[in-house]
Amino acid sequence: MELPENPNKDSNGYESAEKIILRWDSTASEDAREKMIFETNPHEADLYLQAVDEIQRFLSHASISNNAAASTDDQLKVNSTIQIAMARLEDEFRNILMTNSSASLFDPSSSFSTSSHHELEEDDTVSNEDSSHNGLLQLQHCESSDSSTYRSTSSIREVDLMPGEAISDLQAIATRMISSGYLRECIQMYGSVRKSAIDSSFRKLGIEKLSIGDIQRLEWEALESKIRRWIRAAKVCVRILFASEKKLCELIFECVGTDIDDACFMETVKGPAIQLFNFAEAISISRGSPEKLFKILDLHDALMDLLPDIEAVFVSKSSDSIRVQAAEILSRLAEAARGILSEFESVILREPSRVPVPGGAIHPLTRYVMNYISLISDYKQTLIELILSKPSTGSRYSGDQSTPDMEFAELEGKTPLALYLIWIIVVLQFNLEGKSKHYRDASLAHLFIMNNVHYIVQKVKGSPELREMIGDDYLRKLTGKFRQAATSYQRATWVSVLYCLRDEGLHVSGSFSSGVSKSALRERFKTFNAMFEEVHRTQATCLIADTQLREELRISISEKLIPAYR
Amino acid sequence: MPATDYQASFLGRISLRRNQVIAMDGNHEQEDLELFSKHVSERFTELLSPPDDVVFDTLLSISWLRKLLDVFLCCEAEFKAVLMMGDDDHPFQISKPPLDRLIHEFLDRSIKALDLCNAVTNGLDSVRHYQKLAEIAASALGQKPIGDGQARRSRKALNSLLMAMSVDDKECSAVKTTERSWSFSRLAVNKDRSPGHLRQVAKKWSAAKQIQAMTWNLVPPRGAEGSGLASPVYTMSVIMVFVMWALAAAIPCQERNGLSATYFPVRKQWSWDQSITGLHEKIAEEWKEKEKKGAAGLLSEVQKMEKLVRNLMEFTDSFQFHGGTDEKAEEAADHAAELAEICKRMEEGLLPLQMKIKEVFHRIVRSRAEFLQALKQGGKSSAPPV
Repeated sequence: MELPENPNKDSNGYESAEKIILRWDSTASEDAREKMIFETNPHEADLYLQAVDEIQRFLSHASISNNAAASTDDQLKVNSTIQIAMARLEDEFRNILMTNSSASLFDPSSSFSTSSHHELEEDDTVSNEDSSHNGLLQLQHCESSDSSTYRSTSSIREVDLMPGEAISDLQAIATRMISSGYLRECIQMYGSVRKSAIDSSFRKLGIEKLSIGDIQRLEWEALESKIRRWIRAAKVCVRILFASEKKLCELIFECVGTDIDDACFMETVKGPAIQLFNFAEAISISRGSPEKLFKILDLHDALMDLLPDIEAVFVSKSSDSIRVQAAEILSRLAEAARGILSEFESVILREPSRVPVPGGAIHPLTRYVMNYISLISDYKQTLIELILSKPSTGSRYSGDQSTPDMEFAELEGKTPLALYLIWIIVVLQFNLEGKSKHYRDASLAHLFIMNNVHYIVQKVKGSPELREMIGDDYLRKLTGKFRQAATSYQRATWVSVLYCLRDEGLHVSGSFSSGVSKSALRERFKTFNAMFEEVHRTQATCLIADTQLREELRISISEKLIPAYR
Repeated sequence: MPATDYQASFLGRISLRRNQVIAMDGNHEQEDLELFSKHVSERFTELLSPPDDVVFDTLLSISWLRKLLDVFLCCEAEFKAVLMMGDDDHPFQISKPPLDRLIHEFLDRSIKALDLCNAVTNGLDSVRHYQKLAEIAASALGQKPIGDGQARRSRKALNSLLMAMSVDDKECSAVKTTERSWSFSRLAVNKDRSPGHLRQVAKKWSAAKQIQAMTWNLVPPRGAEGSGLASPVYTMSVIMVFVMWALAAAIPCQERNGLSATYFPVRKQWSWDQSITGLHEKIAEEWKEKEKKGAAGLLSEVQKMEKLVRNLMEFTDSFQFHGGTDEKAEEAADHAAELAEICKRMEEGLLPLQMKIKEVFHRIVRSRAEFLQALKQGGKSSAPPV
């Protein structure tokens, strides 16, 4: 064939290169179709790559030397050869990728190695099962990449997804494909193979595909465990899986520029990342109710924790949407939490049960509320940041009988969260007052208040976090309240009995003996006994849960009763 | 796009009105309802003709879809204003029957719409994939002269493209994830079914079924109901269903079997009925024509692309065997240029469309939250779990 003038002996080189390429034309021979060059014979592979280089060199010489003698036919022939080479390389590339993308090389669930009681713990070291590959990794870096900064985030851990030889091969092929203008094919194919590898990792991590509708319909308990699983999985995904994919892209496309490795990374990871975050988004959209608060806060905190890693991994412009989505989910979760807290107040305020608790014991509502706000104080850190606004004063002193009042002046300097908690206690008491009115027996009403407020005080004292926020001032107020209730209770219970023991009316005036009227006295004693029995009977059915309180009361009562008796 | 940021004030009334409307007395409510209907009608009538920059003869182009979504956003904003405005005169009107039930149904539909937005977003990723493949073919065939190499290269890409389109259209739900074989045969039936190119919303999720479910209970309000707030709720519901339907028709998304047969319950009482019904009919017409040929979504750009791709496939096939005649080559070059043009449209239009859909998504979320809040405040609360 006529070759354009090419002074050096490479005209021979070109011919032999062409021969090699044509020999491996998979559309032409059965043999070529069946064997993969890179898999079977590294020497062959080198020869092949050299052949490709030769053709490329030829092509660029031809265009540089601007040789008019180069006939169109020749040009077309060279192009055709290139295409055959590229088609071949594409298949080789795919083959290497697929062989090395099978899931056994990377087991993401091994990252859950040790148990974590607290989900917010840092990731444990990844145990890569194929540790032999780690040692073999000796890669030549063309130039140091910029992205070394993000590797300093301590929580990100990249794993080697592929053995070093595979990566070198891939790199070699990619370089040739890209310099021949076959970038698009390269990206497409890389993306599709790696995407399916990620999909299978997702399956191992237990990441499910759930629609928003599905999530709305799920029972909260089921949802709780999914959230827990998601939090663990998301950490692995962002910090290990995606980070490692990014590193892989950087390694393979190292010598051809950062835009390309970023394009491959996005092609691979964007879909899965969006799928991952869609779950959290769905949770953030769902209706809030009090029992959901803590899981929502967990989710919020986990995402907050992950945000810097997300920003480190998804740093390019094309990944804007992912970062934006994560930030939006975070803010929506915060809002959901706020909404729940706000609803919580009205739930307590309006809790309508009217059946009085027998014996004036502690109402379930009290227990529920106090337990709830103890938990809230556990999440103090997060909530302090979330609750920024103080209670609005619009509803205070509204004169509306259906809402309580609260004096804010003395509560200056408290965080909104603390104010909120105090307010909750105020609301609770308000509700309890209402409930106490359902007791026919006034003394029971007082007992009820006493028991419940006492419980509140105990709970506050029992939690240092809570106590610190509520503050000793208010605590004192509460204590005073239950003592007052105790006194009222005693009075109400025993007043009639004591009345029997009073002095007045016993002395009969106008008689010569300045003693007490015997009949009156007898009358009195009879009444006293009767009443005492009565009170004794009813009091036996009363409950004071707290032994100390009971003792105190007993002492106090006897202090009053016994002297009077004497 | 900032997420919602209403400040929850403790026990405070939360201001729900984003679009501050001047306080009106009761008389004006009726006027507003009529205005709302009128605006809806006008906006949808405008949509009957394609936007100026569009050259296609079918309606569902990227530009048109963006306009459609804008119309949705406008209508939605007005709808919310109308509904919440009654608050001053009749506080929490929407939490009273029969409106509360209607609103709950509306919110249910909203959830389905959200999933549909996600499905369509996934579908747009598929379309982008088509675009990338088409670009390979277009650029290869755009070179002059066209040689064996370019022909083969484009053939490969075109093949993958056609496979992707037919996969996305047919089953969509159970795309296999193992990719073991590829064929080197001359006819290059490329079994390169890129796995998972249409990402699923969920297992067994179906766009068609979702939209059908949205039409349940979608009944025009009768009689006295028709003059109150029930009618804008109905209107907005129909709008929502229509918009989602159009999106699902245009863009390949998970499981669209039976979508073309979606029944629209409308009553020709209002002017807007006619414009929306008109659009629905027009699109259904186009769909019937397409259904025979079987295509991945009605999006005009994709339709055109498919036609060009088939032409070019023919060309490259015959090229392989007979070499190129000048005439054919010219034609092919023209088609390649057209294909490149379509790719350019997609490149420019797909991302904004995706962003618009996200905007719609967020708006629906926000409105839903506001309605839920209003319902809660108006209704009596239930006892807490103890």
